[in-house]
Amino acid sequence: MLKLKTFIAAAVLATALGATPALAQEKARDELVIGVSQFPQGFHPNLASHVVLSLINGMTRRPFTVYDADWKLICMLCETLPSRAAGTIRDWTTPDGEDGLEVDYTIRPGATWGDGVPITTRDVAFTWAIGRDETAGINNQELYRRMEKIVAHDDSRFTIFWNKRTCNAEAINDFELVPAHLEAEAASEPAAYRTRNAYDTDPTRAGLYFGPYRIASVEPGATITLEPNPTWWGKKPAFKRITVRTIENTAALEANLLSGEIDYIAGEDGISLDQAIAFEKRHGDRFNVVFKPGLFYEHVDLRLDNPILENLDVRRALLHAIDRTAISERLFEGKQPVADTFVHPLDAVHTDDVRKYPFDPDTARTLLDAAGWTDIRKGIRHNAAGEPLRIEIMTTAGNRVRELVEQVIQSNLREVGVDLRIRNQPARVLFGQTIRQREFPGMAMFAWFSTPENIPRTTMHSSMIPTAENGWSGQNYTGFANPVMDEAIDRVEVECGAEAQTRHWTTIQQNYAEQLPVLPLYFRANAFVMPDWLSGVTPTGHQYPSTLWVENWTAK
Amino acid sequence: MSIVADTLSGADTQRFWQRFRRNRPAMLSAAVLALIALAALLAPAFEAMLGVDATRVDLFNQYASPDATHWLGTDEAGRDVLVRLLYGGRISLLVGLVAALGAATIGTAVGLLAGYYGGRLDTLLMRSTDGVIALPLLPLLIILAAVDLAKVGVPADIANSEMASLYRIVFIIALVGWTTVARLVRAGTLSVRTREFVRAAEAMGARPTTIMLRHILPNIVSPIIVATTLSIGVVILLESVLSFLGLGIQPPIPSWGNMLTNAQELATRAPALAVWPGAVIFVTVMAFNFLGDGLQDALDPRATRR
Amino acid sequence: MDGRVKPGHDGALLAFLTRRLLGMAVVLAVMSFIVFMLIGLMPGDPIDIMIASNPDLTPADGERLKRLHGLDLPLWERYANWLGGVFTGDLGFSRTYNRPVMDILLPRLGNTVILLGLSSIVAIVVAIPLGVIAATRPQSKLDSAINLFCFAGISVPPFWLALLFIMIFAVGLGWLPAGGMGATDAGFFAGLKFLVLPVATLTIASLAGYTRFARAAMIEVLRQDYIRTARAKGLGPRRTLFGHGLRNAMLPLTTIIALDFGTLFSGALITETMFGYLGMGKLIYDSILGNDFNLALVGLLLATLVVLIGNFLADIAYAALDPRISFRALEAA
Repeated sequence: MLKLKTFIAAAVLATALGATPALAQEKARDELVIGVSQFPQGFHPNLASHVVLSLINGMTRRPFTVYDADWKLICMLCETLPSRAAGTIRDWTTPDGEDGLEVDYTIRPGATWGDGVPITTRDVAFTWAIGRDETAGINNQELYRRMEKIVAHDDSRFTIFWNKRTCNAEAINDFELVPAHLEAEAASEPAAYRTRNAYDTDPTRAGLYFGPYRIASVEPGATITLEPNPTWWGKKPAFKRITVRTIENTAALEANLLSGEIDYIAGEDGISLDQAIAFEKRHGDRFNVVFKPGLFYEHVDLRLDNPILENLDVRRALLHAIDRTAISERLFEGKQPVADTFVHPLDAVHTDDVRKYPFDPDTARTLLDAAGWTDIRKGIRHNAAGEPLRIEIMTTAGNRVRELVEQVIQSNLREVGVDLRIRNQPARVLFGQTIRQREFPGMAMFAWFSTPENIPRTTMHSSMIPTAENGWSGQNYTGFANPVMDEAIDRVEVECGAEAQTRHWTTIQQNYAEQLPVLPLYFRANAFVMPDWLSGVTPTGHQYPSTLWVENWTAK
Repeated sequence: MSIVADTLSGADTQRFWQRFRRNRPAMLSAAVLALIALAALLAPAFEAMLGVDATRVDLFNQYASPDATHWLGTDEAGRDVLVRLLYGGRISLLVGLVAALGAATIGTAVGLLAGYYGGRLDTLLMRSTDGVIALPLLPLLIILAAVDLAKVGVPADIANSEMASLYRIVFIIALVGWTTVARLVRAGTLSVRTREFVRAAEAMGARPTTIMLRHILPNIVSPIIVATTLSIGVVILLESVLSFLGLGIQPPIPSWGNMLTNAQELATRAPALAVWPGAVIFVTVMAFNFLGDGLQDALDPRATRR
Repeated sequence: MDGRVKPGHDGALLAFLTRRLLGMAVVLAVMSFIVFMLIGLMPGDPIDIMIASNPDLTPADGERLKRLHGLDLPLWERYANWLGGVFTGDLGFSRTYNRPVMDILLPRLGNTVILLGLSSIVAIVVAIPLGVIAATRPQSKLDSAINLFCFAGISVPPFWLALLFIMIFAVGLGWLPAGGMGATDAGFFAGLKFLVLPVATLTIASLAGYTRFARAAMIEVLRQDYIRTARAKGLGPRRTLFGHGLRNAMLPLTTIIALDFGTLFSGALITETMFGYLGMGKLIYDSILGNDFNLALVGLLLATLVVLIGNFLADIAYAALDPRISFRALEAA
């Protein structure tokens, strides 16, 4: 027992003092080991959808267009961005007589697959054909369905014909190219493509990639090793080898960083923010922790047909009663800014001119009194009918940070006499069923992941309320139906002038803040934990990862 | 009739106490457990005495060091660690006790039936017992813990209540934890059923249920008590493991398991938060083991310590 | 079995083998049905989740993907399809990895067997001497200390112990890696250091049971007449102990170890999670939570099979160690 006691005491001491952190092995600085907390499920860019896969894809391939770290749309695989001014975006009428668009692109010269075969319009046509096939199992088929046809003019020039006239038709960020010369055979039987494609059967094949790196070896569940791609046309990357290592337990991930097994924890999929804050405090001398507010918009959806929540005064009272500043300051050291609406401050269409709800319990109490919740018994408000002001909140079980924030909200609301009951479910239940089929009775706390300038049609338009009749389509889980919002959404999609865009986007945000179908909480930040010798990593803060500029990463 | 003579008589009780009192680790364990249970029961009193509120979040007093109000400091939400540990103890001990009793009940029923009736029923029940023992239980528990309660016909108000995770855990542990008791009870039943007084009762036309419950069960209660005591510890440990896998008691209800799981992510920032629940689990489970051991020695002097 | 099998045993042996194998098949079949139905009772669907988290996917996409993966069929039909596939040697595809399940499972199975095998061996090698020492000096200080150590081992939450190990040996002292597997091309011995902490964690949990059992068995054996006879014949205490006592004490221990395999497997799940060890426990856990039906199902069946084979081998070892046991007796047991 004595031994065990000393043993535990030693351990506690070691942890408490962070005693003698092991010297990181002096590794040759031409290699980089990135730590992530998940392993991608499959490697095909159009069949799998995973944050770590997109991190890898950033190094092994390049999209035609993408948003850069300044949230500007740029060309990567194309030569120049199409525009109306240059005449490369033109109106087109579909065979059905609908308003469409035709958009010209040119593949940048020198673009080559890793086995030396040039990238041509043949690959574009092939990718499109597979994408449109009903049986091939491509994830985002909607994208390909909207491309009525693609016409190749020669090996490098092609035109996409869209069946809809939208304002950002030049962005084809998710049009991920697949090599026709390697995949055509597997795709000859589209229904079997899912299981026969080379990305999943032979992921180390050089010809599948065209980025600065290619996948050299894969150990399922553990590591993916990348080596420079000799046919890469751009700037030569500095690292001779990049290893992406998966360690799922975040405490162990941190330990691995400290013991030198990994060099860098990716912000895209690494440790939680409060872990990173604590880490920075203790090891800030050896590591450089960059916090980047991301596109995860953490919020609480309200069921607007709930008899308590249908009252606008109550919704406003709730938001006034929650000390979001304290949550941001105390739990996240101000690294996760309080959100006023769903539009991120970095987004070009963001406006600050919206109704704000500062922490103000007195206003909250006044509003609740006005809504008829005046009878306070044992600290809980009741209405004239004697019903308690009791609301249920749900979120993903096992997400420690959310559960913590939830308990803060519960405590905040009790101060103004609201009895908030917590009932959490595992993510797959919550998202797979409860939220999707609108089975949450009161509030649901979760995050949205959206792209810059993403029009909130599916989440805010009244035609997008999921019901059994429409097969639960749409993501307007609150049941928000507001004519002002509907009109602004309809118009912002088609009125492409700069002034019209600003006007409609402002209306959308103002209406959102005014009506509060959703309680905005904060924008989640990602923490990039880098060794002090690594430079050139620029977090983007949106869904397109920092690895898209991996050739700029260097060791000091 | 010699029924009484074969069950625990007054003299036996006395001998039991004599033996048990001599077993110092077991006595100490019993005292420690009594203390923990008492403290957990008195959690509200502690709360009132210290002037803290176990559920009140105070973001301006996170990770506070121990002081006169917060004897063990505060956690990441500024709540008092000691009082939360006590409330967590209520839940963990309750889960341990109820699940262990549930498992013992199932195990006793299976063991009695198998041992008393013998033949095919015995074969069937014991083969199933062997089967359950052979299974990799944890993955199965994970599936059971993920089953949608509404889909198996649990009323919505129970399935949706805050306590659902607690009921579920008690239920699934009882469902898989009965095998040890079943084997012990069967063995006991086999040896007792041929005894004079059972034969006599049978001759007098007593119903099988009566014989099993009135005549056999009292004579094999010792191993059941021992096994149940030991399994309370196992259940408390299992609850912490399920919490670690995200399938245990769900917050905001505190349990030692979820407090420990929560704290391990914060291990580098606030190691004390992981030390306390870890230590109480360790001490409690250890005490249950020693207690079970001591009970075995005292109740069944012939058996060697195993 | 090495010459001890007397004439006339061959028939019994054959019958024994057949019955045991049939028994295993039945257990596996029952398992597969129960697990399949239980999985069907789990809420949520991976495709639904994909749609919920990606605004670009439409419900039409969801319907199409479900049809592709056969998720729109009723549960019993899916089970029948799966079972039909099994008989043609097709155990199905993992939906998350897009590979045949066996391609994913087999390497993981190998890793888990290494982990379990090593920790079983270490546990036995440590437990038997401890048990013997304790048995020869019952009620002594040393006996109590060993007892205490054993209880401590089964009373500590395994993930907490793992974290402690990582904090001390990986972060604090830097002697051992905090987790992972090492490079595959680095060879077995380079990979060994990755095994130290996981094996230690697993061993501590199983050590207690073995030690206490070895002690009890040894005490029992030391009371037997033949030990006294051996002592009387003038054999030294050491020879008596190891020559006669240990071998007989090993018998009950083998059964305990075999029965313990299921528990050990559960322990492997926690250990693998904490140390990022690519074993089957972790894979099964992930596939259950990720609703990868085929992978979860076949993984569980494979795990059960490993445990059943373990039990089976233990029975054979039991018979080999004890000439008095015949297979007929084993069957009756």
